[in-house]
Amino acid sequence: MCATDDAKGLNMSRTLVRWLPAVMVPVLIASVAVAVPLAANAGVNLPTKTPAQVLALAAGEKVVALSGTISQTSSLGLPELPTTGADASAGSALELLTGSHTARVFVDGSTKQRVQVLDRMAERDLVRTGSEVWLYDSKKKTAVHSTLSERPTRSSETEGMISTPDQLAATLLKSVDATTTVSLGSDLRVAERTAYNLVLTPKASETLIGSVSIAVDSQTGLPLSVELFARSQKTPAFSVGFSKLDLATPDASLFVFTPPAGAKVTEKTPKVDSSRPAVPRSDAAKPTVSGTGWDAIVAIPAGAGAAAKGSISLKSSPLFGKLTTSVTGGHLFQTSLVNVFLTDDGRVLAGSVPVAKLQAAAAAK
Amino acid sequence: MIPLASEFAIRTESLTKRFGSQVAVNSVDLRVPSGAVFGFLGPNGSGKTTTIRLLLGLASATSGEIEVLGRRMPGDLAAVLPEVGALVEGPGFYPYLSGAANLYRLDTADGHATSATRRARVQSALERVGLSHAAGKKVKAYSLGMKQRLGIANALLIPRRLLVLDEPTNGLDPQGTREVRSLIRLLAAEGTTIFVSSHLLTEIEQICTDAAVMSVGRLVAQGTLSELRGVGGARVRLESPDRDAASAVFARFGMTMAEPTPDGGELFASFGTVEPDPDTVVAALVEAKVRVRSFTVDRPSLEQRFVDLTGEGFDVAQ
Amino acid sequence: MSRSEVSALPDTAFRSRPALGLPLLASEISVLFRRRRTWAMLASLALIPVLIALAVRLTSSRPPSGRGPAFLDQVSQNGLFVSFVGLLVSVPLFLPLTVGVVAGDTIAGEASSGTLRYLLIAPAGRTRLLIVKYLATAVFCVAATLSVAIAGALIGAALFPIGPVTLLSGDSIAVGDSIVRSLLIAAYITVSLLGLSAIGLFISTMTDVPVGAMATTIVLSVVSQVLDSLPQLDWLHPWLFSHYWLGFADLLRQPISWDSFGSNALLQCGYIVVFGALAFGRFTTKDILS
Repeated sequence: MCATDDAKGLNMSRTLVRWLPAVMVPVLIASVAVAVPLAANAGVNLPTKTPAQVLALAAGEKVVALSGTISQTSSLGLPELPTTGADASAGSALELLTGSHTARVFVDGSTKQRVQVLDRMAERDLVRTGSEVWLYDSKKKTAVHSTLSERPTRSSETEGMISTPDQLAATLLKSVDATTTVSLGSDLRVAERTAYNLVLTPKASETLIGSVSIAVDSQTGLPLSVELFARSQKTPAFSVGFSKLDLATPDASLFVFTPPAGAKVTEKTPKVDSSRPAVPRSDAAKPTVSGTGWDAIVAIPAGAGAAAKGSISLKSSPLFGKLTTSVTGGHLFQTSLVNVFLTDDGRVLAGSVPVAKLQAAAAAK
Repeated sequence: MIPLASEFAIRTESLTKRFGSQVAVNSVDLRVPSGAVFGFLGPNGSGKTTTIRLLLGLASATSGEIEVLGRRMPGDLAAVLPEVGALVEGPGFYPYLSGAANLYRLDTADGHATSATRRARVQSALERVGLSHAAGKKVKAYSLGMKQRLGIANALLIPRRLLVLDEPTNGLDPQGTREVRSLIRLLAAEGTTIFVSSHLLTEIEQICTDAAVMSVGRLVAQGTLSELRGVGGARVRLESPDRDAASAVFARFGMTMAEPTPDGGELFASFGTVEPDPDTVVAALVEAKVRVRSFTVDRPSLEQRFVDLTGEGFDVAQ
Repeated sequence: MSRSEVSALPDTAFRSRPALGLPLLASEISVLFRRRRTWAMLASLALIPVLIALAVRLTSSRPPSGRGPAFLDQVSQNGLFVSFVGLLVSVPLFLPLTVGVVAGDTIAGEASSGTLRYLLIAPAGRTRLLIVKYLATAVFCVAATLSVAIAGALIGAALFPIGPVTLLSGDSIAVGDSIVRSLLIAAYITVSLLGLSAIGLFISTMTDVPVGAMATTIVLSVVSQVLDSLPQLDWLHPWLFSHYWLGFADLLRQPISWDSFGSNALLQCGYIVVFGALAFGRFTTKDILS
């Protein structure tokens, strides 16, 4: 009887041993998946610097060549847009506001530059050599050539495609003034490089922006990532950063672009920013800015041709209903960082401020 | 006396297999002597095939121990199975492959089998079961009997110490059944232990040296054939009113008269050491004025014994 | 050869030191490719690019840019794109379908034909059999992907001009380079299917009904893709085995972006290990009653 029980025990334990890998493997994978992100920022201990020193480090940044991959993630509290189906094309205008995007950036000096926005089964390229600029869209099979009249800096050309961390950081750092508190968070590791964590906190209480965190490369001062936190959120509402970065000079052939056979080539001189919905610049519809700093409000008057057309076509889109909420006096487009108020009389007010403040501003007019 | 392990080709100790609440094999202690042709008998559903699966490591026992060729199963499975050829619950083959290709395939599964002699071994195995002519034919075109032979050929790809044949004559015509029986005799003569299961008693009775009987998951009898038939063997049944005279005549032939049965009409006598010629016995009875209404020599078949053991006839499924 | 002759041979004529299982693997692959079903599936896969090429050839109007599968509008200008379109179209359904059939059949098919018990008492060894079955499925993944790629290249070369290939980045590469990229894409898709193969292998150990295992595997591949398209579940997406299936487009960029290749390989490895361990646990403790 005893022997039988032993055999039974042996059987049981053999069965357990054979199921052991099936239990251990997922546990192992789960622990690695948890541990790796935790370990990423552990053990970064850079020489102590004051916020001012880090600002100076960022200001003195002299990176001339790089190739890197940028990831941009937004969670602005917008409804998720369909990525397939009939609404897909309407969604593309707003796609930069939602979800994740990846781009590759290649820079060699101030005149050679290539940005590739990596879309699903497609790609949008910007290739610049000197004053020659090519914009290529693999989905539409179009190539747009333009010649720049002046020589803008490294930053100016990727607007409308994706913002690079250094561009965004430059804009944000420009506005560091008395309305902002600058401090340092714990050191970071970004794209396998060590970085100081510069934290900008608005002093104004009326803004939606909680704080901005900029990772400044400890060696070169290059901003490696920017994260925007809304007042109400723990995770960044918007973040853009390098996931890979190499400071070596990229292959020269990357900056040589010949439009492929079969692509529709158009010439544009002087270059107009066509990839962005036009913002009216005519005198009749000049936007006015009230307030300064983080809680400023931009107001676009009614009747401005493009804006009116834009708002009519916007209102007829099925997405309009999904994205906006109807309130007294107009429609509201709400995100965790920015609110836009479209009044019934056609005005547009926008700012990183609470809805009530926009409505008040609209009523005051 | 606890026998040495090597005396037995198969030995199980309280072997039990449960499927949920149903006990398929209930505390079975098998003893298959090395070199025996062992008949494993029982009606369909009595647990024979499940026992064979346990012996070959296809299923794991709920409790109990198994020793095959002196080694523990399923612990030493990798060392034991190359020495065991088996046919389990009918043949299983790839219908879209030829008979020879099927054997070739199954032979590659044995990591110990030499690939250099594979082709020759496949050919000779097919020859032994009389399938050479159909070697290149796809198995889906085989009859059930041919598949059965192919299954036996698979068991013979390598010289084995033990062959486990589950219902080997299933689906064979009488001629095929005779061939399988003679093949088993031949293999046994070469010293291979053969464990052959069947629900058809008559098939086994002619070739076995030993047998065991399963009924409803239990082992109800086990031993050599003569042990199973019961001591004494044949007996005489005589219908006669002259009991005393008959008894005297039987005594002359060294026979013993049994106690009378209640109804009195029939008399039984068992033989002594020598079995006399029945004609002589009848002549002597007649000469002694014994009125012989009928005279029969009963040879107890295993069947009778099994009906006693299992409480039912053989072809009855549980 | 009579019995006595066989007995006279030395033991080494029958038994050698246990092999690694290469003869079994060779036999497994040969059994797989001797099935008419396998060839029927490969032929249907090869038919996909052929149909695409014929459809493009027979329609006079050029498909408008940006409509239909990516690269379709380039087919008429460059036959090499037939391969790419064929692969792109096959990845979501047709390839998983055939791989599901083969992977779901691995163990359950042997069980239902009754050959599993004979393989195990040979003895094939349960772990060894499982590994051999998996490797044979992987070989089928290679064959399936290549039959789309090669059929596409051949029909493309037959019906359309061949020339430098325009990458997604707008750069053009020579024909030789583009063949290298095609092979890289075939490798990428093969790797993509390995996780599904492991899932199919595990499901196949759960049942004796091959059709059930095949259907479950195929359904899972569809479910995974549906989940991957739901933005509400974006936390789950990187863990879905189909997440990087269409990421092979990264091999058509200049320079090649290896990120998705790496992430995909890592993810598929994870699935192989997890479902391999599950299949091992299940198969080595299973009672073979078929």
